[in-house]
Amino acid sequence: MPKITYRVGDETTTVDATVGSSMMHDAVRNDIGGIIAECGGNAMCATCHVYVEDGPVDSLPEVGFAEDEMLDCTAAPREQNSRLSCQIPVTDALDGLTVRVADEQA
Amino acid sequence: MTPTPQSTVRRPTSDLDVYSDEALLNPWPGYRELRDAGPVVFLERYGMYAATRYDAVSHVLRSPEVFPSSEGVMMNDEMNQVLRGNTLCSDGEAHSASRRVIVRPLTPKAVRLLQDDIRAQARKLVEELTGRREFDAVTDLAQYLPVTIVSNLVGLPEEGRERMLVWASEMFNCFGPPNDRTRDSFVVLGEMMEYATTQAVPGKLRPGSWAEAIHGAAARGEVPADKCPVMMIDYMGPSLDTTIFAISSAVWLFARHPDQWDLVREDPSLIPSAINEVLRMEAPIQDFSRSVAVDHEIDGVVLPAGSRVIAFYGAANRDERRYPDPDRFDVRRNPTDHLAFGAGPHTCVGMNLARLEMRALFEVLVERVTRFEIRSEQRALHNILRGFARLDVTVHV
Ligand code: HEM
Repeated sequence: MPKITYRVGDETTTVDATVGSSMMHDAVRNDIGGIIAECGGNAMCATCHVYVEDGPVDSLPEVGFAEDEMLDCTAAPREQNSRLSCQIPVTDALDGLTVRVADEQA
Repeated sequence: MTPTPQSTVRRPTSDLDVYSDEALLNPWPGYRELRDAGPVVFLERYGMYAATRYDAVSHVLRSPEVFPSSEGVMMNDEMNQVLRGNTLCSDGEAHSASRRVIVRPLTPKAVRLLQDDIRAQARKLVEELTGRREFDAVTDLAQYLPVTIVSNLVGLPEEGRERMLVWASEMFNCFGPPNDRTRDSFVVLGEMMEYATTQAVPGKLRPGSWAEAIHGAAARGEVPADKCPVMMIDYMGPSLDTTIFAISSAVWLFARHPDQWDLVREDPSLIPSAINEVLRMEAPIQDFSRSVAVDHEIDGVVLPAGSRVIAFYGAANRDERRYPDPDRFDVRRNPTDHLAFGAGPHTCVGMNLARLEMRALFEVLVERVTRFEIRSEQRALHNILRGFARLDVTVHV
């Protein structure tokens, strides 16, 4: 199982992520705070915003058009490393990834 | 293709009439029967498959290569021709191009700009209605924001604005299987399509409106110009009725579950969760369909290429395999994964606006109303939509 690390405020949690799930679903299932995911993982609400900090960043899928549109709507500022966690499927290649959950989601 | 031996093929069938008056008014027992019969079940009466389990519906909606929308998402061939090429009924690049245009005024950021106005209007309305004590939760409460604010944003000329409610409801009836309700509604649909083609045109549309922006996008080459009329339907169809039915269903549920209303009154931060639970319980759009592009197996049942599968959002949302005690209205459940807005590439683009309208009303209602009491109710008898034609309530303050 790939290990993914989430940083929320001062807390850092590493989870055994489930391949085939999305990072958003996995984070919610593991009680990582700070993610609202109001739209259920369909790139419509921009409330599962994370900043990719470290690890195999080149293994991440490209930002699609729906995600790109929503990243312009995030409550916390969009940065170069902004992603919507619902649009990132968990794969073995993501082992060692670290993301910071945006402080403000809505 | 090698034919699979008959004995290994499971093909659950049902003679249930999911579009009878009785089933439409109370679909839940039929849905349960279908969910128990299999992941997808062939409906003998209609010659289409029904997906009713959560996993099956979600899979259908999220697999557009197998279950495309461009051959239509309705349950009859005629209607599947009419809307060809709008956002709802397209796939791939063509879908992305038109969705990009349609979503522009409906993103979270765009909708934030509407927030103050919608909240102010909601407050004014609720104050007036609670002062009156007795009102129709459909015409007096639920219709107000969609009709005064949203129809103006869409921006049709006066006559079109006035007809939008009737058109939308009749149009959704035309999504049904070939039955009397569908046939009766085709007349009005003709009127709506004619209007979308001849009247919803630059010069007649409100400047700065969503409808005008479709023509603007076509002029810039973002979408083909001949798609403008069908793209009008992306706004004219789903922008009003769906939200109206959701609001009336919310009032109805809160009236019948005063304990749940108390929970929300005590803790208004539960409102977003309660709204998700209302949508889960009473999906305003109960079902659309997809064609099947290639033979495809779902949990041991093969859907043959060329067939059609109906995705019952409303049934998936009550699947006991997904939601414990699914028929219980629980405002603390917060089922953000419900399928009332669909899922996958065609997920509702209007959900941020619909949610805002609902929140705005209930944020004020929780301050003012201690109890909703239903004096009389009349459900809308509709092929696709679920909600009320009338809901007379008394509010206790
Ligand atoms: C509570 C209110 C609403 C509900 C329950 C609802 C439900 C849905 C559903 C289930 C779909 C998915 C269709 C599919 O799977 O093929 C959808 C799509 C759509 N909705 Fe909504 N809707 C609502 C409000 C709105 C509003 C307010 C608008 C516009 C202002 C809107 C515009 C659309 C459009 C354009 C699509 C097609 C998106 C696409 O195909 O990419 N909806 N809606």
